[in-house]
Amino acid sequence: MHIPDGFLSTPVWAALDAAAAPAVGYMARRAQHAFDESKIPLLGVMGAFVFAAQMINFPVGIGTTGHLVGGALLAYTLGPAAATITMTAILAIQALVFQDGGILALGANTINMAVLGVWAGYLPFHLWGAGKNRGLAVFAGGALSVLVSATLAVAELLMSGVRIAGSVLGVSFALFLAAAALEGAITVSVVGALEKIQPGFVRKPREGRSFALGAVALAALLLATVGLLFASAAPDGIQSLAQQAGVASHARTVLTTPFSGYEAAFVRAAWTRKALAGLAGIGLIYAACVVIGRTVSRRGSA
Amino acid sequence: MHHIVLERWSRGRSALHRRDARAKIVALLVFLVALATAERAIPQLAAALFLLLCAALVWARIPVLAAMARAGVALPFAATFAAVSWISGDAARGAILAVKSYLSALAVVTVVATTPLPALLRGLETMRVPRFLLTVAQFLYRYLFVVSEEGQHMAKAAAARGASAGRLRFRVAAGALAVLFARSYGRAQEIHGAMLARGYNGRLPTAAAPRFGASDAVFLASASLAPALVRIALDRFA
Repeated sequence: MHIPDGFLSTPVWAALDAAAAPAVGYMARRAQHAFDESKIPLLGVMGAFVFAAQMINFPVGIGTTGHLVGGALLAYTLGPAAATITMTAILAIQALVFQDGGILALGANTINMAVLGVWAGYLPFHLWGAGKNRGLAVFAGGALSVLVSATLAVAELLMSGVRIAGSVLGVSFALFLAAAALEGAITVSVVGALEKIQPGFVRKPREGRSFALGAVALAALLLATVGLLFASAAPDGIQSLAQQAGVASHARTVLTTPFSGYEAAFVRAAWTRKALAGLAGIGLIYAACVVIGRTVSRRGSA
Repeated sequence: MHHIVLERWSRGRSALHRRDARAKIVALLVFLVALATAERAIPQLAAALFLLLCAALVWARIPVLAAMARAGVALPFAATFAAVSWISGDAARGAILAVKSYLSALAVVTVVATTPLPALLRGLETMRVPRFLLTVAQFLYRYLFVVSEEGQHMAKAAAARGASAGRLRFRVAAGALAVLFARSYGRAQEIHGAMLARGYNGRLPTAAAPRFGASDAVFLASASLAPALVRIALDRFA
C-alpha cells in the first residue's frame, strides 16, 4: 500500500520524513559494514527481483490472485539492514518512475514498509528461525511484515483526517489479515524451495535466543501498532459509527477502557494535538526499533 | 513496456531538459509542499498549478496528453479513498484527495520526464542522500527490466506447460519464484565479477560533476517562486 502525495496532513508526512532519513542513514551504514561496498550490485539486482516477483501470481481462491511483497523474504536472505536499504530503493524507484507512492509521502512509505515492515518481519525469524518452529517463524514473519505495514499506513491516513467509516475499516482490516496470511504462506513456500536449490541462500539465526526478551519486543511492537491505530481511529472513525449504530455506550466501554486517560486528554482536542499524540506514538515505536536494532547487532557480533 | 516512454522523454533537448537536476528537485519539492499544505481555495490553486505544469510540459516539448495519462497511475488508489471518504459522508474531502494526489503525480512525471534517472540520482547524491542507497537504486533500475523480462519468460513457459490448472499451482508459483531468485542472485555475482574485472572499486564512475550555472539559478528562483506566489495570493485574496 503506497500512500500518494496529498493524503497525509503536513505534521504527519513531515515527521515521518524526519524519522525516515536518520533511520535509512543508519541502516545504510550498517548494511555497508555487513556487505563491503562492492556487493552493491547484489542488493540492486535483488531489488529488481522483488519488482519482477510481482508478475508471478499466486492463486487465492476462485479467480483472484496475489503476489509476494517481499520484505520478509529479503530480510531472511540479505539480512534486515540490507533488506531495508533494498526496499527503500524499490520505494524510491516506484515513486519516481512508476508514480506509485508520493515523494513527500516517501518517508511514510519507507517507515511503514522498508523500516518497520522489514524489521517486524525479521523479528520472529531472528528469535525462532533456528529452532523446531522454523516454518512457523517464517510464516509469522511474512504475515507480520504485511500486517504492520498496512496497519501503520491506515493509522497515518486516519491521523491525517481521512475519513474512513468504521464498517470500511473493519472490512479492510479483514482484507489485511487475508493478505498477511497469503504473504506468510508465499514466504514459507519460497523459503522452502530456495533451501532445496541452495541451503546457503537463507540465513541461519543463532540458536538459544532469550525467548522472553523476544516475546516482549514482539508484543510491544504489536501493541504499539494496534494502539496507534485505535488512537487515530477512535475519535472519529469508530466512534461515529458506534453512535450511528446506537451502540455508543457499549462501544465506548470496550474501546476506551485501555485508553481511558488517552480519551480524556485528547478526544476533544484539536486535530493538531491528535496528530502530535499519534506522532509521539510513532516516535516511541521508532525508538524501540532503534534499541532493538542495536541490541540485535550487539548480540549478532558478540 | 510502458515505462520506456518516460526514458525516451527524458532524453529530450529542451531548455527544461538542460537545467541542473538539483534545481528541478528543489522546485519539485516547493511545488509539492505548496500543494500538500494548502487548505483553502483548493479548486483555484489546483487549476493554477495544473496550468503551470502544462506550460512546463509544452516548454519541454513533451506530449501533454500522454504525460497526463501517465500521471493517472496515481488515480486508482486516490479514487478508492475518495470513494471511501464519500461513503463516510465527506465527499468534498474525497475530491480534494484525488485532485491533490493527481497533481503531485503529474509534477513528478514532469520532472522525471525531463531528467534522465542517472542525472536525477547524481543530483540527489550531491544533496547528501546516502550514496550507498542511490547506487543500489541505480542498479535496481538498470536490472529491473532484465529480471522482469526473465520473470515474464518463466511465467509464459509455465503457462505453456499447463501450469494454470490444478491444485499444485501455488507450489509451482513458489518454485518459479525461488528459481527466479537463484538466477537473479547468480546474475548479480556475474555482474559483480565482470565489474571487478573492469576495475570497479565500489564507486560508479560518472562524467564531470554537473555545474550549477546562472541559468539554473534563474530557473530555480522562478520555478519555485511561481507555485509559492500562487499559493500565497490565493490564501490571501480568495
